[in-house]
Amino acid sequence: MKLSCFAPALVAAAAVAAVALLASSYYLTLASFILLYALVVLGLVLMTGFTGLISFGQAAFVGIGAYAAGYLAAVHGVPAWLTLLASLSLAVLCAAFIGALTLSMGGHYLSLATLAWGVVVYYGLGLIAPLGGFNGLSGIPPLQLFGVSFASERSMFVLIALCFMLAFRLMRNLLDSRMGRAVRAIRAGAVLPEAFGASAFRLKIAVFCTAAGLAALAGWLYVYMQRFINPTPFGLHMSIEYLFMAVIGGVGSLGGALAGAAVVVVLKQVLQDVLPTLLGRTGNFEMVVFGALMLGVLARANTGLWPFVARFVHRKTAKPVVIDAPADAVAALAHGRPLGVVGATLLQVDGVMKKFGGLVAVDRMSFHVSTGEIVALLGPNGAGKSTMFNLITGVLPASRGEISFKGQRIDGRSARQIAERGVARTFQHVKLVGDMTVLDNAALGCHLLGRNGWFRAMAGFNGREERAIRAMAMEQLRRCGLDELASMPAASLPLGKQRILEIARALCARPQLLLLDEPAAGLRHKEKQELAGLMKLLRAEGVTVLIVDHDMEFIMNIADRLVVMQFGQKIAEGSAETVRRDPRVQQAYLGVGVA
Amino acid sequence: MDMQIFGLLMQDGIASGAVYALLALALVMVFTVTRIVFVPQGEFVSYSVLTIAAVQQGHAPGLVWPVAGGALLATGMELAERIRQRNPAGLASRLLVLFIAPLAACAFARFGIDANSAYALQALAAVLLVTAMGPLIHRITFRPLDSASPLVLLVAAIALHFVLVGLGLYFFGPEGSRLPQQEWSVPLLASLSIAPQTLMVVLASLALVAVFFAFFGHTLSGKALRATAVCRDGAQLVGISPDRSGELALGIAAFIGAVSGVLIGPVTTIYYDSGFLLALKGFVGAIVGGLAGYVLAAAGSLAVGLLEAFASYGASAAKEIIVFALIVPLLVWRSMVDPHAGEVE
Amino acid sequence: MIQNKSFHSALALLLALAMGPAAADINVGVVISATGPAASVGSTQQRTVPILPTQVGGEKINYLLLDDASDTSTTVKNVRKLLSESKIDLLMGPSLTPNSLAVLDLLAETGTPMISLAGSGAIVEPMDAKKKWAFKTPQSDTHMATAIIKHMADNNVKTVAFIGFNDAYGEGWWREFSKLAELRKIQVVANERYTRTDTSVAGQVLKLVAAKPDAVFIAASGTPAVLPQATLADRGYRGKVYQTHGVANNDFLRVGGAKLDGTFVPAGPVLVAEQLPNDHPAKKPSLEFIRKYEALPDAGRRSTFAAYLWDASLILQDAAPQALKKARPGTPEFRLALRDAIEGTKDLHATNGVYNIGPDDHIGLDQRSRVMVRIDKGEWKYIP
Repeated sequence: MKLSCFAPALVAAAAVAAVALLASSYYLTLASFILLYALVVLGLVLMTGFTGLISFGQAAFVGIGAYAAGYLAAVHGVPAWLTLLASLSLAVLCAAFIGALTLSMGGHYLSLATLAWGVVVYYGLGLIAPLGGFNGLSGIPPLQLFGVSFASERSMFVLIALCFMLAFRLMRNLLDSRMGRAVRAIRAGAVLPEAFGASAFRLKIAVFCTAAGLAALAGWLYVYMQRFINPTPFGLHMSIEYLFMAVIGGVGSLGGALAGAAVVVVLKQVLQDVLPTLLGRTGNFEMVVFGALMLGVLARANTGLWPFVARFVHRKTAKPVVIDAPADAVAALAHGRPLGVVGATLLQVDGVMKKFGGLVAVDRMSFHVSTGEIVALLGPNGAGKSTMFNLITGVLPASRGEISFKGQRIDGRSARQIAERGVARTFQHVKLVGDMTVLDNAALGCHLLGRNGWFRAMAGFNGREERAIRAMAMEQLRRCGLDELASMPAASLPLGKQRILEIARALCARPQLLLLDEPAAGLRHKEKQELAGLMKLLRAEGVTVLIVDHDMEFIMNIADRLVVMQFGQKIAEGSAETVRRDPRVQQAYLGVGVA
Repeated sequence: MDMQIFGLLMQDGIASGAVYALLALALVMVFTVTRIVFVPQGEFVSYSVLTIAAVQQGHAPGLVWPVAGGALLATGMELAERIRQRNPAGLASRLLVLFIAPLAACAFARFGIDANSAYALQALAAVLLVTAMGPLIHRITFRPLDSASPLVLLVAAIALHFVLVGLGLYFFGPEGSRLPQQEWSVPLLASLSIAPQTLMVVLASLALVAVFFAFFGHTLSGKALRATAVCRDGAQLVGISPDRSGELALGIAAFIGAVSGVLIGPVTTIYYDSGFLLALKGFVGAIVGGLAGYVLAAAGSLAVGLLEAFASYGASAAKEIIVFALIVPLLVWRSMVDPHAGEVE
Repeated sequence: MIQNKSFHSALALLLALAMGPAAADINVGVVISATGPAASVGSTQQRTVPILPTQVGGEKINYLLLDDASDTSTTVKNVRKLLSESKIDLLMGPSLTPNSLAVLDLLAETGTPMISLAGSGAIVEPMDAKKKWAFKTPQSDTHMATAIIKHMADNNVKTVAFIGFNDAYGEGWWREFSKLAELRKIQVVANERYTRTDTSVAGQVLKLVAAKPDAVFIAASGTPAVLPQATLADRGYRGKVYQTHGVANNDFLRVGGAKLDGTFVPAGPVLVAEQLPNDHPAKKPSLEFIRKYEALPDAGRRSTFAAYLWDASLILQDAAPQALKKARPGTPEFRLALRDAIEGTKDLHATNGVYNIGPDDHIGLDQRSRVMVRIDKGEWKYIP
């Protein structure tokens, strides 16, 4: 293990020690608040930055954590470790409940639901008399954990710092894992994780609950630090502040949480000290100047401040990725996914129909794909190819007919279930997670092969499987000629390479059937040649492919068999030569009967 | 609860709901054109009321200073950009919007009216002054952010809200004001015991819904404005300026806010920070409309107003809890009926 | 002998100079809520700081002013800053009750006395090891509530309806008021709440009016207290209306206008200083405060909230000389001595009455600290 791995942790530990030993009471308090806020914002970065869910209710979870601990400790003398358990459980339960209700909603509805939740909790806390109401609850005893007393500010600060670093580590582990990749995939559209076997809904709930847990932890620490609690720090304005900190710091990275919290807290203190001397005491301009400065920051750096900092810390070069994984682990991943007997029917489509209201998009289509073939589904625009594709992949339900895969019915099944059976796909509009590396994007395909869940991922107990997954992903990248670019962010690739990356990702799922949706669309000639070469390579290795496209020349080159559609119906089927000469095909494409 | 109380509560709910609807409509309109969730919409309302109140109390309207300052800043920014681009095209109209109009409004508010002027004139001055703020805000705050994600735009709107509330506190002080009640003799209304003010607000909301619905849904310019929010580059390619659209949208929103203030000022006390809660309830209504539908936004706001009125009768200490807790099932229902309306692009 | 005498006096003078308190400024932290929901209270207090006395017992007083935006976490941060960075000897403020409660621990930890400007008696009662460092100048809610209840009982009020803010203020008042009403056999027939920023209280008022009370008590402060009263007037309510001393400012009169006529408000004497009888102990200090306050630019008319801060400074003026005899400012001993001296304040005439502080009574006010006032044609009228 290189020393540079430990460098950030060492720097952090040194900083914490320095502050704990040298800082005065006031600076200790400030630092404590910064880290507490950063803890909450960490969850928000996970939710908003990595999963794309905007929440206006994090302060409510802080409040729940704080009040659970405060009430139990002050009124019932419950020991601290137990109050921690209570805080976390209550917050996570509430999050699971709210999440189950609202996470199936889209962006705006979710934000409003979290906002509503925040307001309900705030006023609810004020209303419940045993919690002290709006006047608050005092008499909370100092924190005693395993015989150690954290009554002093210094010790409390050290504890808060430790909790933050632990939370950071857990989140980092989570994001670098199989679950983390699936979570990050949600931003490209819920259909992406579903296509690789991950339930977007369950992932969102897990993220929501994790963020709530982090907020509750912050609340628990807060109540033992302040030893007094009232509802005002848990109102809507605070939730808005947390979101503010997240965006100013940069929602794209965990470091943004710390940056945002630090900038906002420090700036407010500085303004409080400096403005009266500059502008006199005639008015209170802190809010105005603060808002104006934040607007300035956003105008200059609308992905937040952390990327500026990170530029000094990291440098994104295409350094070669070395993965050291035991061969048996990799083999274990691929176990149970044989490619099947060549020639047997793999996919059978029988009399499938799809109606959208009065429009018949797919009209009694029947065809089959045998193992080891490359079959192309062709047709002019509007023929119904993409709809057919979506029916096969489970994105849309068929109105009538049967689709079978390996002899089992798959029509009516969800995309996830179909993926579990060994079908992998690419997308017509490339769905990659732009700020994830090429390797991680590919590794998303291995989701169904892995087994480590949420908690194991956070704890970092998934090392063996992770390395195996990355080795597998690397292998597929090599197969597709992308291994040089493994550590580049996916957004930096040209479109052609992105399409190939999508194929590499699909291959990572070790599919028996590979479904490619317009892979050649938007590619230049050379890129199409590369793609064709890859197709031929795959066929030689026994992979079954169904391609949907309308580029005749590209298809003719690589497909074993073509199925031509027009107006939702099959008009021709056969080899490239047969189809090319078929008058109905010519008419469909050229519009005129050709002799 | 007897029929009379029921009727009174209904009236109160509709009156509040109509106010929220005005805000919701402005929010939806700004969002459909610019993708900004315009949190400070409520500040337009409070600024308008407090400016009129200040004039009536014999103070010079403090708002002229930020508006004048904003005009200078915006003009400076615009000129700097023009010089950089060496592009003098259309400069005259830009100066009109960013410099001449705001300063004229300031001059009128500062020198053209005083405590003894006719109420209508005072109101007009305030409305003009607040309306002039709209395009200025867009130019100064949102133009530099034209390529930002909706989340960043939302946070920028929040930051702007801090600035405006802080300025409001400074210029208007922490105490609130009311506008004098206009006594209009409308016999029909007296027998129905509906306050004329309430009727005005409701009529204004209905009119606005109709106008927006027709304009954005069925006219070319309205659709053009919507297009700019969906695809800036595409809009520019066909000759629609996203920035002009944004300024227009905020200008209209400011006008709506200012007029809303004039309408509700006599009925309730407005403070420097009243705007936020009004905008929040308007936001709820707007979300019910999926941030896209005007009729639904108005309906949602009305629902909020009615919920509030009845909850404040039934259990006033838990009023907020009831109203916001009931929002959630409403949202669940909406998202089931129209699953894609809530998506953030 | 002369030589011995002068030698002795020289020696005595030298010793006195060596041991007496050296010149060191007294640092007073002032934490108030000048922004946020309580801005109308705190902004008047902020305005008062420049006119507070800057000298006592030969020492200079530095006032370090911080705004806590009505938020308890900010109060804690500010007080920590003042305690550890600025080494304050005394804290004046905060303006709000929960904020004052939040800093009790800090003050006890460092041994620093506080004179709070907040309303609830809970800040100083029941006395314990922490609260021995806490004092306050405003009359407690109980004190004012008693005056209201007494006036009600004297005026044959049998039923009363309550409406108050849905926050710490309203909650505190409800506790006191309901207790006292029960003692005096006055029946509370309604208990409603509203928020400061509500645009309408029609529902609440309908409920109040439906209960047909003899009187309505509104537990709110500042101009938001106008809303329920105006709505009551619009609904044609003819009974008595009582407000709390939190409305004792002129903006309330301005916004409420004619609809406020006939309201009863218990207030500190400073509100109607000119109308007090000449032998009222609060008259002279009140007039002096008013003269100074109303001379400030943009201050408007007198503010009872600002007067609390003024009284705190009077207490300091009274107590500091005794503390200075015992220790130097900036030391824990001085803070303890100051606390003891404040606790020993006797018969101090101030704008809010007469302060007689003792170990069990850290407010120290009595009957003379409140007067009943009636609003008459937009003016405060003293009821003797």
